[in-house]
Amino acid sequence: MKNRTKGCKALLALWAMTGFLGLALPLMAADAPAVTLTDKDLTGISAPKTDDIAAKGDPGAEMTGTVADVAVADAKKGLTLADMANQIGQNKVAINFVWTLICGFLVMFMQYGFAAVETGLIRAKNANHTIMMNFMVYGLGLFAYWVCGFAIQMGGVAPVANLGGLYPLNSEYTATLFGKSWGLFGTKGYFLSGSTYDVGVMVMFLFQMVFMDTTTTIVTGTCAERWKFAAFCASTIPLAAITYPLFGNWAWGCGWLSALGTNFGLGHGYCDFAGSGVVHSVGGITALAVGMQLGPRIGKFNRDGSPNVIPGHDLTMVLLGCFVLAFGWFGFNPGSTLGASGNGALRIGSIAVNTMIAGMTGSFAALLYMWIRYGKPDASMAGNGLLAGLVAITAPSGFVNPLASAIIGWIAGILVCLAVEFFDRVPKVDDPVGAISVHGVNGLWGVISVGLFADGRSNYGGSWNGVAGGVKGLFYGDAGQLVAQLIGVATLVGVIFALSFIFNWIIDVVVGHRVSAKVEMAGLDIPEMGALAYPDFQLKASDYGTPSQSAAPASVK
Amino acid sequence: MRLTGLVVVLAGWGLAMSGLFVSSSNVARALFACAGIAVSGFGILGILNKYYLARALWKK
Repeated sequence: MKNRTKGCKALLALWAMTGFLGLALPLMAADAPAVTLTDKDLTGISAPKTDDIAAKGDPGAEMTGTVADVAVADAKKGLTLADMANQIGQNKVAINFVWTLICGFLVMFMQYGFAAVETGLIRAKNANHTIMMNFMVYGLGLFAYWVCGFAIQMGGVAPVANLGGLYPLNSEYTATLFGKSWGLFGTKGYFLSGSTYDVGVMVMFLFQMVFMDTTTTIVTGTCAERWKFAAFCASTIPLAAITYPLFGNWAWGCGWLSALGTNFGLGHGYCDFAGSGVVHSVGGITALAVGMQLGPRIGKFNRDGSPNVIPGHDLTMVLLGCFVLAFGWFGFNPGSTLGASGNGALRIGSIAVNTMIAGMTGSFAALLYMWIRYGKPDASMAGNGLLAGLVAITAPSGFVNPLASAIIGWIAGILVCLAVEFFDRVPKVDDPVGAISVHGVNGLWGVISVGLFADGRSNYGGSWNGVAGGVKGLFYGDAGQLVAQLIGVATLVGVIFALSFIFNWIIDVVVGHRVSAKVEMAGLDIPEMGALAYPDFQLKASDYGTPSQSAAPASVK
Repeated sequence: MRLTGLVVVLAGWGLAMSGLFVSSSNVARALFACAGIAVSGFGILGILNKYYLARALWKK
């Protein structure tokens, strides 16, 4: 007992002392005279001897990365404070360059995921054609984006603090209407020429290019198994060169949608952190425009309009592709901070976790929906649910908390199932991979969810789209933000659909979108591409056109 | 028919945008935006898609 009392007294004394020190030390520190650093102070810092490193190596990492590695502007003067400050600045930008580039490489790898998902969900007789569309969309899109797409989208985006300013991208074409300035498109960066031959601009180009390529590859899924390869090539160019870059400029390149906050007081203007709208909705809506013009595959619908099941040829490839896409999404969303150092970019951890959670709940929700509705846990829809959750969280990932991410993903998982059924049964738009539902519908949901769930806790350098403070949605007190998001949705459904429709209407007149019925029945691999994807396999002729055994849509089954 | 559909789709966007100038109330602007989205949706699915459905292969 005595010992316990002594122990308590000692603890109390310790606690009191800690409290005293905690209060007193900051006051003492405040009274301490400020130390002025000069260049002379830096001369005393000794660098490890190179002979030592040469002889022993540096297994403990004690001699690598020292004052000897700081770049000195004038060797005669030696190390100065200016050298140190410049090195700190360069380190920040270097971290951000590396982060953005690596995330861009991850997003580029998503092309593999899209190719696997789309090819797995179509029949073997069209596998070469489908995977070649996914392969060539990379080159075609890149070419168009390099020529003019990047300039239209990002030509006026400067300054971007995380990437060193990007000052060469300083020219946005604006129109003044109703007393407001409306940014319409950028005008610098065509062919990455002139002053845009700049290290920061190159990083931005790579990152934005792989985003654009995601958009173009969405369309190939919806149009698979009946699209002329030449028409696909022709269709990809205007999407990568004009349609995508225009909306990208309005949302991300200092265009008019991002200015809805400063011009009309609508929250922080249209907010789309990583592109539910810019990337996925533009792709999904374009897929709808082309899919409508193409019409359904032969055998998809019976004469009474009821849908038939046309199963894909490789479910394992589909789910492996979904995993690759989920992995690539860690480049998509956290990479959209365009850095890991400065301006609130440390939020990358939160963004990555939000991405994970929404994908998980999306997959769960779709799985449960299908299990309850059709009696089996459907594999392809579990995969589509995962993608739907990821698509939906793309816009809000930088503005919401993990609980909101879970809700957004869960709703997306249900929404994708309902949308697949809707497009099969009501407008009867044939979408072999469910791309319109996954990317179009859930992209729009992601845009709206920013206006509902953004919690105002993010702080990317103190403002977003020129409006001070964090982005807040309706549930956190800013109804104006929801209106800005709805204007974004209206622009996607109205303007972007119309543009895509017109471009592809012209292509339909000039090239013709659809292969002949004979080619379609035979499979597109030989007539369109000249080679089978699986020449050593005996392909079984499919017999579609008979009523389905179940009312479940083909993409679902 | 296709031109009519396109005009309706674009008119939906115009309706959504007009809300920004007609009122400064967020509720009114949101209603305009929703109405605009609905009009565009009708243009896409109700007019354009109907045109293509009428010519669909499986109906022949």
